[in-house]
Amino acid sequence: MKLTNKFTLWYFGIMLVVLLIGGAIVYYEIQWKVGRVEVVRHQRLNDIIAQQIRSGGDYSGHPTRKRATVTLIPADSVPQGVSSYYTRGTGWNPEFQVNEYRLVVTSFYTINGQHYRISTYSYIPSFYQLLPGVVKSFQWILLLLLVLVGISGRLISKYILAPFKRTLRVIQSFDLKKKAPLRLPDTRTSEFRELNEFLKKMTDKALEDYQSLKEFTENASHELQTPTSIIRGKLELLMESDIRDDQAVLIAEMQNALERLSRIHSSLTLLTKLENHEYETKAPICFSELTKEALNAFDELIQMKSLDLQTHIEENIYLPIHTALADLLLTNLVSNAIRHNISHGMIRVDLSSAGLVISNTGRAPEVPTGELFERFKKGNPGSDSIGIGLAIVRQICDLMNFNIVYEYSSGRHILAISFLSPAPASKLLQNLAVPLHPTL
Amino acid sequence: MKVLIIEDHQELARNIHDFLAREGYICELSTTLEEAREKLSLFQYDCILLDIGLPDGNGMNLLAGLRAERQQANVLIISARNGVDDKVIGLEKGADDYLTKPFHLAELHARIRAIYRRKNLGGANIVEFNEISLNTDTFEVRVGNSALDTTRKEFDLLLYFIVNKNRVLSRQSIAAHLWGDYTDNLANFDFVYQHVKNLRRKISNAGGMDYISTVYGLGYKFNSHKHEPE
Repeated sequence: MKLTNKFTLWYFGIMLVVLLIGGAIVYYEIQWKVGRVEVVRHQRLNDIIAQQIRSGGDYSGHPTRKRATVTLIPADSVPQGVSSYYTRGTGWNPEFQVNEYRLVVTSFYTINGQHYRISTYSYIPSFYQLLPGVVKSFQWILLLLLVLVGISGRLISKYILAPFKRTLRVIQSFDLKKKAPLRLPDTRTSEFRELNEFLKKMTDKALEDYQSLKEFTENASHELQTPTSIIRGKLELLMESDIRDDQAVLIAEMQNALERLSRIHSSLTLLTKLENHEYETKAPICFSELTKEALNAFDELIQMKSLDLQTHIEENIYLPIHTALADLLLTNLVSNAIRHNISHGMIRVDLSSAGLVISNTGRAPEVPTGELFERFKKGNPGSDSIGIGLAIVRQICDLMNFNIVYEYSSGRHILAISFLSPAPASKLLQNLAVPLHPTL
Repeated sequence: MKVLIIEDHQELARNIHDFLAREGYICELSTTLEEAREKLSLFQYDCILLDIGLPDGNGMNLLAGLRAERQQANVLIISARNGVDDKVIGLEKGADDYLTKPFHLAELHARIRAIYRRKNLGGANIVEFNEISLNTDTFEVRVGNSALDTTRKEFDLLLYFIVNKNRVLSRQSIAAHLWGDYTDNLANFDFVYQHVKNLRRKISNAGGMDYISTVYGLGYKFNSHKHEPE
């Protein structure tokens, strides 16, 4: 639900409560005030009548006496400390021939030593006559408020939330690799200013970390490759000197270990680069062509192992993927399919717009297939491989939002990549994604 | 051939020096850009091996300077940076090739020869050794008068052997030469064995001498002095 709508709904709820209470207050206030005014009027009338009695004239036909009752009372009936009181209740109105709400005000006077009780009354609107009017007017107020709050809420929130929306747009297009610090628009709203400051700090830190990570990767690559290079060169020179057979075996073993070291290192460097998103996706490339090229490159290896290659490659399948990544992906998959195959086995490559499926014959893996995506996990612990190829494949798939599944059934290894991915997350989320291989 | 090795790691430079010296190349070393500039102003070199990360600056600057002065020396960048961008920038700035550390010395030698053929022999794309001749343009191999039907990989292998004749070539070095960066997924050196076997068979069938021998435990060697077995 939109923030604006939420606010509007809450406001409306509060308004409803306030109006209900307000309606009750208004209703009782009017009720009381009307009664009060009448009481004061009748007290004045009673005073006038008392004045008339005091003057001693005959006022029996006078308009003041129309609804007045003057009674002589004994002294002991005069209430102490009260000069006047009033009562309310329903009474018969002979003028209109209906029962109406009647207010009776009674005052006590002492005139020339005699005690008088003077009562006058009138008919006033009752509770029930007032209620519909109050309800009606509050209904109108409510409706008016609803419309106004609804419209103004939308307009005002658009104005107030504008800096927030601008910030959102800026962070969505933020890209660590561009190394440009976040530039957020100024705002006078303190919450948004706080948010902007926080975002700025966060992205600056991320940029810094990214930079140092990148530097570390580069330095590590440089510093480790040089000694490896030196050792390798020395061994090559040693190889050409006059050596015995047993020494030759030692050298060969050293070379193998060195080769592994260098391979592990370059694969890890590559994985780091992938995790750093150093391969920005460019224009879509023809994946069909690349797949064919990759298969061609491995043609002789396939023949050497006498493998039966079946391909079903749909033409003109374009994917927005960096060429280097597509190359890595295909090379790793195809070479895996060849290496872990059996002699006279088969490889089947299916490419359609939905995805790529590579299946091959081979020995059953000794660990669950899902785990083979982890670094340094090998289906066959004795094999020569370093077990990083599939980790690279998975990393590329994660990067491209492809879905990858590895299954082994009835003697076949099946690796299926689905190109149809959920909507890509924002750039920021991609950049901040936690490492996808927590098992390393 | 005169080669200038610009490399700040003394041991690495010495490896290259020792290896190339056996080919009869005259090698000189410099460990800094300053030293290299001085040498370049005084002498002419056929080939410059240039490391990018030097203590007193980036090797790319020297390269730009060289090309601005229209020096014709071949430049081969040797760098530990395996970035595609670095490779592209290096080649754009006028380098003739780019080799990533760690490399095999035989590979370095093959690259130097390849550049030299391309630039200095002006169109003479034939590499000959006794009765064997290779055309690096058409990838044709001839033994004596008969053309040899070789695959591209076999051609590359034979050229690699001939350039590095009388040297022990390890299986790793051959695999790296033939399959480049992807050897890590093809660690099975049986492929190398297969290729060498096929190549030897094809040359023998065409009446050529079997120059290639197995070196126990290490790899293979192309012997220039081998004679027809009795």
